[in-house]
Amino acid sequence: MSNIVKTDPASITIEIVYRGIFQKTLAQRICRSVVLAARKRGYTGTAFGRYGDSPERNGVPAKYFAVVAINDLELESSMAKYEPSVVDIAVAVDDTLVKGVESWAWYGRQPIWKPVHEGGAVLVTSDKTADQVLAQTDAAERPYLMGIVPGLASFAGLWVFKDDHTDYRVLGALAKIVPDWVRIEDVKTLIQEQTKDGSAVASAQGGYDRTQLRQVKVGEGTTGHEVLQFEKPGWTTMRPGVIVDARKPGERNPYYKKYGARTLRPVVNFDTCIKCTMCWLDCPDECFEVTAEGHYEVVYEACIGCGICAQVCPVKDCIVMVDELKFEDNDDKWQLWKTDHDAYNTWFEQKSGVSADPKKVALASNKAANAAPGANPTMGGGDD
Amino acid sequence: MTVTASNTPLDLPQIKGVKDVPYDELFVSGHRTCQGCESALVMRHMVKASGPRTIVLGSTGCMYVANTTYYTTPWVVPWMHTQLGASGSAALGTAAGLKVLMRKGKIKDEKINVIAFCGDGGGADMGIGAISATLTHKDYNSLILLYDNESYANTDIQLSSQTPYGAVTTFSPSGTDKRLMHTRWKKNMPGMMAAGHPESRYIAAGCAAYAVDLMNKIRKALELGGPTFVHTLDPCPKGWDYHPQYSQELGHLAVETGIWPLYEVIDGVCNLTGPTRQIAEGRKKRKPVYEYLKRQGRFAHFADEDVEHFQATVDKMWTEWLIPGVIPFTIPQKDQTLLRIDKKPLHEAQKTA
Amino acid sequence: MAVQIKEKQPSDVETEQLATGCEAIAEAIRLADVDVMAAYPIRPYDGVMQAAAKLIANGKMDVEYIVADGEHSQFEIVKHACAVGSRVFVGSSGVGWFYAMEAIAVTAGLRLPVVAICGNRALDDPGAFGCEHNDALAVRDLGWLLCWAETAQESMDFALTGWRVAEDKRVSLPLAIGLDGAFLTHSQQIVKIPTQAAVNSFLPKFDLGDRLLHPDNPITIAPQVDQDWLMEIRMQNDQAMRNALGVITEAHAEFKKLFGRGGENPFLDEYMTDDAEVVFIGQGTLSLPMKVAIRKLRKEGHKVGLVRLKWFRPFPTADIVKSLSRFKAVGVIDRDYSFGSPFYGGVLYNEIRSALYSVERRPTVVGFIAALGGREIEQPMAREMFDKLTAAAQGGLASGDMTHWIGVRN
Repeated sequence: MSNIVKTDPASITIEIVYRGIFQKTLAQRICRSVVLAARKRGYTGTAFGRYGDSPERNGVPAKYFAVVAINDLELESSMAKYEPSVVDIAVAVDDTLVKGVESWAWYGRQPIWKPVHEGGAVLVTSDKTADQVLAQTDAAERPYLMGIVPGLASFAGLWVFKDDHTDYRVLGALAKIVPDWVRIEDVKTLIQEQTKDGSAVASAQGGYDRTQLRQVKVGEGTTGHEVLQFEKPGWTTMRPGVIVDARKPGERNPYYKKYGARTLRPVVNFDTCIKCTMCWLDCPDECFEVTAEGHYEVVYEACIGCGICAQVCPVKDCIVMVDELKFEDNDDKWQLWKTDHDAYNTWFEQKSGVSADPKKVALASNKAANAAPGANPTMGGGDD
Repeated sequence: MTVTASNTPLDLPQIKGVKDVPYDELFVSGHRTCQGCESALVMRHMVKASGPRTIVLGSTGCMYVANTTYYTTPWVVPWMHTQLGASGSAALGTAAGLKVLMRKGKIKDEKINVIAFCGDGGGADMGIGAISATLTHKDYNSLILLYDNESYANTDIQLSSQTPYGAVTTFSPSGTDKRLMHTRWKKNMPGMMAAGHPESRYIAAGCAAYAVDLMNKIRKALELGGPTFVHTLDPCPKGWDYHPQYSQELGHLAVETGIWPLYEVIDGVCNLTGPTRQIAEGRKKRKPVYEYLKRQGRFAHFADEDVEHFQATVDKMWTEWLIPGVIPFTIPQKDQTLLRIDKKPLHEAQKTA
Repeated sequence: MAVQIKEKQPSDVETEQLATGCEAIAEAIRLADVDVMAAYPIRPYDGVMQAAAKLIANGKMDVEYIVADGEHSQFEIVKHACAVGSRVFVGSSGVGWFYAMEAIAVTAGLRLPVVAICGNRALDDPGAFGCEHNDALAVRDLGWLLCWAETAQESMDFALTGWRVAEDKRVSLPLAIGLDGAFLTHSQQIVKIPTQAAVNSFLPKFDLGDRLLHPDNPITIAPQVDQDWLMEIRMQNDQAMRNALGVITEAHAEFKKLFGRGGENPFLDEYMTDDAEVVFIGQGTLSLPMKVAIRKLRKEGHKVGLVRLKWFRPFPTADIVKSLSRFKAVGVIDRDYSFGSPFYGGVLYNEIRSALYSVERRPTVVGFIAALGGREIEQPMAREMFDKLTAAAQGGLASGDMTHWIGVRN
């Protein structure tokens, strides 16, 4: 009665792919609840974060796991592990994660479905359709089921968990995909016990009812993403004395690109740029490069989307933070602006929803930036 | 200071303004730091200011673990790990090694900057003894940079002696019984280093939100030579719980509320810099600390009385300290004359007598 | 602080000195042209720092001499000085050695050839000054080379050999030289001081090559690592320790050729073992009273000998097997303890036992815990050990009764 193919009849493994720190509490809550809900019917389980992600860094993709088994014996094969090699369901609680997961150096960029076995599922929280999300997901090497839990990514803070019910909706969605492992009635009972809040229970039911499922065939998805894979050297070829070659001047770290940490990317209106250098000066990731004209172009291969540039830019709407899923590539855009001014401005307006014409009074202002996920995580973050 | 070859000052002119900041990146992208990591920005500015003829020693902490994951690195300049409490010893050993090898003609005699950095945990807690010792070894040129993100942010955000009063950390959660688990006031690290090490020619407090000011402080430290110390306050979106895009803003607020005074002590003379000077001169009004506290999740549990206590303690720094925000004591009202004591050196006093 | 010398005093004739082990090593520091050393006071090792300070104050050598704020800083300072290409020296004793332990561990991990002495001292509590080997033995698993000297002369010879072995690119590991507290650190003996020319021809200049931390050789040293890499790094250190056996043998042969000292075998010295049926084995100065005892026993017609182990790391397993498998019984004298270890034996005891495990006709191995806290080995103790050893050789000891504490009041 599962909506997915189960390879192991005795246990189920679910991974939550999330944005480090922002969604740490969220991922933990979902995984714990999966296990505790299964406990209601006498199943057992384990929940754990991936040790290698710790210490977590804001925005850097991390993973949390929940394994449910019919008994302790069946659970053993999932114990004492950093990370399950195969999972039944991968859940991305931020839809920009479908562009690939790069968690640390030498990890490479891995498709969101990488650990999902044939016939498994990828569940994504998104305000977009399955087709839109799929268009940004690496082309499938195995068929799988894609589920979309409607809603924006939850970027609740760390110390203060601003609960927007994403966790409940995801639990409901899981119950829809594998009802024989995560039973909606167990989920609802658990949430009722934990929260004594009818709206939280309703959110779980909402996730169950409103999650859209779509079968993904082999080859569906994009082949446009960068291939980033590495072969690790061995002890005979590694430099002795724990030594690593320094970076060459002008070089960027080829083994860890980090743009996979980005949920929003800055787009620049070069017409209104006053070349004040602030975006370049205050970028903690060295991602701006100065042009011959003294403009500062974003190197999207290096930008991790923190949004500082948009905040420090003194010119209204000169730098606008835009949803990463609106972009197919990491190409630098300044050349386009140089060669085809109008084409660039059309691109800028279409992406940012803001006028490129300095004279026009921009409507959006920096709303785009302030609407950034987590812009107001707690009493912290927001302009108040 | 005896000027031997390895003490020859490097030509590091003061940076006039943002347009004058060097373009070369010696700490490049692809370090595993948080979005909006102000400490990463400090690393970037630090080596921008020092230039390529620099050796950097990094003690354990975010700027070690996040920046340099084996088998790769973001550093263009030579870089070496040192232990959590060893930034002082790393600076000393490296500087001493270079000095003797140059003196003996075993390596080329030239100026090489030695910078050892540490976090607030490694510097103000575990490593304070070694840093203090190094600041007394006046024959060796080294800069110790303490990047202060106000917690052991790398190990899971535990409180350090630099964590502000009342802040939530994993070692000081706010609970139903105890609202505040952490009630110690932040250790006055730069002030203590300045007051306690008369032969250190340069001690400063900076913040990457004032980038040019910070880079110039680093250059002054390296130019003056001997053992020097720069302490930066680095807003930390992870541990402080605010959205990364506001890092610069929080740096500004820390200074504008008077919580983090910017200053430098050159050969025993203290200059307040940036907005701190304007506040001290009465040209700028200190902002209420609430403006700063309310922006961060780590203070979300504060009750009015906590904010008031915080404000009162910061006010003290400005109204009662001998040097506002720097030297935390003064003398009784009745002894004010002591501040006008006869400053004539003893030997001259004897001559005139 | 540094001392500028007007001109180097040439020492072109071999001289003699009445010197302690510490003073002898200070002479080695001078002859090796050490660049940086870091001092911190603790008995009994710090005689070497006092002696070196005098040599510097009197312009006999040019060394960057740093008085540190604690042992941890002491070892960190030389570690970093070494990384930029300096030949370094450091040392400590007892709990001071343990205070430096974090720095001691990372120095081996970094493959930096720091040469140190451990003036062996009992660990607190209670505070004690006397000799026990547990301080130095604490580094036995970390990738430190570890040897024990018997005389002031050998202390110096180990130091000179030490820099050559430790700095050899095939090894590049730190070295700790064990000097028995008081007996070696504080007692003066006649020591031959070789000429500078001879030392120069024996000891090459220190060259880190492409591992040098310098702006002209930009590298990153010791980034944070995870489970994907660490085993390969440990494997590299394991290989370096294996290489050390051959490099020590080379250096020993060269040293003998130049200075005519060092004994037959680089790793162990045998005394009256040719026709011996039972032998004792131990490290450091306890060999001296034991030799006296063995001569007495020989007079009485007992076929007993002594093997003195010079190098503990790398452990010379092949040489140990070759030597000890010739005897009926081996008595291991440990000036250390390893509470709760197999048979409650000392550290050396269990290493010898395990080395002999694969030998077909393996001897009975009896353990003696003796001379702890600097207690002397008196002749009656030697006799007591000999009686127990011969009893064991005749199979007279219950197998569970393998370790004996010697000279303990009831």
